[in-house]
Amino acid sequence: MNPVFNMDAATMSPVALFIQADWVVKIVMAGLLIASIWTWALIVAFWLRLGKTRRGMARFEREFWKADDIDVFYKAESENTLPSARVFIAGVKEWRRSTAGGSIDKGGTRERLATTMAAASAEEIDTLSDRLNILATVGSVAPFVGLFGTVWGIMRAFTGIASAQNSSLAVVAPGIAEALFATAIGLFAAIPAVIAYNRFSHGVNRIEAALNRFADGFHTTLSRQLDGGR
Amino acid sequence: MDRAEKVGLGIAVVGHIVLFGLLSVGLLSTPNPEKLQQHPIEVSLVKDVGLEATAPQAVTPPAQSVAPDQGAPEDAAPPAGAVTEPQPAPAPVPPTPAAKPAPAKPAPTTKPAPAPKPAPVRAKPKPAPPAPEKAAPKAAPAKPAASAKPTPATPSKAKGSGSKAEATTSKPRGSRLGPNFLEGLTDKPSTSKSTAPVAAKIDARALASIQQAIARQIQPCADRQVNPGPGANEIVTVLNLRLNEDGTLAATPRMVRQTGVNGDNDRYRQRVVDLGVAAFKGCSPLKLPAEYYSTPAGGWNNINYNWQLR
Repeated sequence: MNPVFNMDAATMSPVALFIQADWVVKIVMAGLLIASIWTWALIVAFWLRLGKTRRGMARFEREFWKADDIDVFYKAESENTLPSARVFIAGVKEWRRSTAGGSIDKGGTRERLATTMAAASAEEIDTLSDRLNILATVGSVAPFVGLFGTVWGIMRAFTGIASAQNSSLAVVAPGIAEALFATAIGLFAAIPAVIAYNRFSHGVNRIEAALNRFADGFHTTLSRQLDGGR
Repeated sequence: MDRAEKVGLGIAVVGHIVLFGLLSVGLLSTPNPEKLQQHPIEVSLVKDVGLEATAPQAVTPPAQSVAPDQGAPEDAAPPAGAVTEPQPAPAPVPPTPAAKPAPAKPAPTTKPAPAPKPAPVRAKPKPAPPAPEKAAPKAAPAKPAASAKPTPATPSKAKGSGSKAEATTSKPRGSRLGPNFLEGLTDKPSTSKSTAPVAAKIDARALASIQQAIARQIQPCADRQVNPGPGANEIVTVLNLRLNEDGTLAATPRMVRQTGVNGDNDRYRQRVVDLGVAAFKGCSPLKLPAEYYSTPAGGWNNINYNWQLR
């Protein structure tokens, strides 16, 4: 294998292609490279975060339904940052505020509990799905940006043909190769972004559904307790 | 940016660097199958491209005059109808007392020039046949006219005044021929013989143009044919023509079939055929392109023509 950067025109060296390209194409390539890096960073981050969240929520709910005393459980979990824990904390706080006074408006308390937990759930989902839009944007825009770089590079290659008065393949090929490299990077960034966006939006939807189920269950429990039952 | 995103960013950066590094050192590149080499090929630029493969036209030039060239040559009128311009040596015979001023005649190639027969020198000039030259072939007096430009004294400087290159160059003198060398030659201009090669094939366009040429050439005779009756001009007769190479009819045109015959004009059928035959007989020979006379795909040696009265 050849040692470091083979600048031969016939090899597919990204660095050589980048260096030979026009400055507009260079800007496009650099932007797409950054987009690709950011995409993969988000992919890894989402993968870690969603997995951790899902596992933590499952464990939290298991423990919640097993817990005998909600107050004790609340004390233990009051610092938890899991979405379901946050919903639980918000519900318990609202419950305590509503039941602090002497006379309790059961209907109003139920409504407030529901609203509070729904708001907490929505906020958690908002936080969770933050930056998912970046994946969507990269997935839809990166091919066009790459195509722009390609078109620009091919235009430049053709003007090069015109100025060189020579249309042999050896004259045309490098310019077109480096122009096509822009589209390649664009697709390289866009394809994982699209796949990851679909995958992670599905994951977020599942977490949201699980969160809503937990909130409904907790609301049912609190509502039952409001009526004096256990 | 939380911890997971930092981890992700680190992993992504490292992954990209590793990937592009591997690509840069040529891990995934093909092992350079062919360096973009340019093999020089020979290119010959030609202006004229024959889309149909045909042999070049072989043209036999007309026979050259072997007349003694002692006077100022004048341009001979080119023979009319020759395919290529023949090169008649425009050498009028200088008005010597013995020889009459006869223009040099290009000898036809088919006929070899007869050997000059020994003949007595005739003092009396013979009237020369009409020649296509400007030099008036009048019977010269026994004594050459003083106004005759070519003087026999300076034959070596005899130069033509014509525009042709061969006419203006000095001519060799052929004084060894006898004065009777012209005997047996005709005064008709010799025609160059063009042996047009057979065309590779005859296509529909050429066939159509031949049909149109026939129609155009028999038009005068076709106009003379009187329409025998109402409806006769609706009859379309396919006449089969057998033609010689010079355009004359090799046989009487033969009726192949007729269309457009109905009850009204049925009695004119034979009359229409006869009128067509008469038109062809009146206006032949036809002048048609020689290369399409006979080709492997057919030609005008045996061609069908749609004859219809106008």
